[in-house]
Amino acid sequence: MDDMRLVERTVEQLQSKIEAKGVQVYYGEKHALKDVDVAILDRTVTAFIGPSGCGKSTFLRCLNRMNDTVASARVMGSIRIDGEDIYDARVDPVQLRAKVGMVFQKPNPFPKSIYENVAYGPKIHGLAANKAELDSIVEASLRKAALWNEVKDRLDATGTGLSGGQQQRLCIARAIATSPEVLLMDEPCSALDPIATAQVEELIDELRSQFSVVIVTHSMQQAARVSQKTAFFHLGSLVEYGETGQIFTNPKDPRTEAYITGRIG
Amino acid sequence: MKEPHILSAFDRDLEAVQAHVLRMGGLVEQALLDAAEALETRDEALAQKVQAGDKAIDALEEQINEECARLLALRAPAAGDLRTVLSVMRIAAALERSGDYAKNLAKRSLVLSNMSPLGGTSSSILRMARTVVLRLKEALDAYIAHDVAVAQDVRLRDKEVDQMYNSLFRELLTHMMEDPRNIGAAMHLHFIAKNIERVGDHATSIAEQVIYLSTGDMPADERPKAELISGTDTAAGR
Repeated sequence: MDDMRLVERTVEQLQSKIEAKGVQVYYGEKHALKDVDVAILDRTVTAFIGPSGCGKSTFLRCLNRMNDTVASARVMGSIRIDGEDIYDARVDPVQLRAKVGMVFQKPNPFPKSIYENVAYGPKIHGLAANKAELDSIVEASLRKAALWNEVKDRLDATGTGLSGGQQQRLCIARAIATSPEVLLMDEPCSALDPIATAQVEELIDELRSQFSVVIVTHSMQQAARVSQKTAFFHLGSLVEYGETGQIFTNPKDPRTEAYITGRIG
Repeated sequence: MKEPHILSAFDRDLEAVQAHVLRMGGLVEQALLDAAEALETRDEALAQKVQAGDKAIDALEEQINEECARLLALRAPAAGDLRTVLSVMRIAAALERSGDYAKNLAKRSLVLSNMSPLGGTSSSILRMARTVVLRLKEALDAYIAHDVAVAQDVRLRDKEVDQMYNSLFRELLTHMMEDPRNIGAAMHLHFIAKNIERVGDHATSIAEQVIYLSTGDMPADERPKAELISGTDTAAGR
C-alpha cells in the first residue's frame, strides 16, 4: 500500500532541516510571535498562511535573522538549522543569509546588469576562483530559475529592464547563486500575473529537489498548489501545522477551517 | 451551525445545492411509497405517475451536478465546504439510482396487475418499502443536522431490511416450488424486493456521507449484514 501513496505525502519520511522551539518575537511592546514550535523538513515546500499581522512573515524573517535589522525587535527561543543554533553569538548573519536565501514580495533586482545581479553573491562570498567559474555559476543559477533561455543573449542588459515575472525569477536566480540550503520566499508572486506566477510555482517545485523552501503566501490556492506542508498562523500563534492535503480537506482546528474556507475567524 | 462565509454568495450557492438534494430526496421517497402502494392496490394510474415522475428526479440530479461543478470551479471550496460539495454529488447519485428503482417497481407493478397475487407478498413488499423510505428519510435528516449518531444508527439498521428481503426471498421460493405457474409473478416480485433492498444500501451510503461530511473520514468498520440463505447463495448473492 505504501508505494501507492501520492508523492506529495511521502514527505513525512524526510528529515527536518529547521527546528524552532519556543520562538517569541516582540516589536517593542507588541508580542508579535507567541511560542512557536515547528520542524521544517528538508527538500520540502512549506507554506505559511494566515491573515495579515498573524506573524507568518515575522517568523519567516527569524529564519535568516532579518529581524536583526529591526531595532525594536527582540527574538527569543531557539532556531536550529541542521542542529546549529542560528542565534548563537558565533554565527555571522551574513554567512547565515548565504545559506538561507530570501526572495521578497516585490522583485528587487540591483540596478545593474543581469549578469552582475546573479554574480554579486558568489563574488562577495568568494565562491568562484575565476571568471570561468563565476560564469558557470551565473549560467547554472539562471537555468535553475528557468530564465536562462530568455536572457542568455543579453546578460549585460540591466536587470530592471526585464518584465515583472522575469525580474522575480532573476531574484530567485540571485538567491540560489550562493547555493543556499534553505530558500525563504515572502509572497513571491503577489506582484506577478498568472502566467508568471505559474512559472515561479513550477520553479519552486523544481527547487524542492535541492532546497528546503518556505513560502509565505496570501493565496491559499497557491499554498495548496506548491506546498507539501502548511502552517497556519493566527494572532501570533502557530495554530496548525500539517500535510497540505490534510489541512485543505480536513483541518483539525476550527480556526484553520474558518480561515481556509473564508469564514469570519 | 457554522459561521457564515465572508462572501455571502458562497453560502447562498452551498445552501442552494443542498436544498436541491432535499427536494430530490422528497421526490424519491414519494416515488418509492407510491410505487409500492400501486403494487399493493393494483393502481395503474399511480404506477404511471411514478414512471413519469422519474424525469424530474433525473433532471434535479443533472442540475445538482452542474451546480457542483460550477461551485468547484468558481469558489474552490476547501475543508468542510469541499466535503459538502462532494457529499452532495454522491448523495444525489444515490438518490437518482433509488429513483430508478422506484420507476422499475412501478413498471413491474403494471405487469403484475394482470397476474394473480402471490399470497401476502405485495403487502410484505409495501412494508419493506416503508421501512426503507424511513431509513432514507432518517439519513437525509441526519445530513441536514450533521448528526453522526443518527447516521450511524441508519447504517447499523440496514440489517433489518436485509432480513426482510431474505424472508421475502424464502416466501417467493416457496410459491415457485408450489406451482411453476407462479414463477413469472415471483420473478418480478423478487426483482422488486431486491431493488428495494438496494435502496436500503443507498440510504446506508447517504448515512456514510453524513459521517464523512462531519468527521472528514469514511466509517472504517464493516457494517453488520444479514446472513445469506443457505443453499441459495448464488441466487441471493450480494
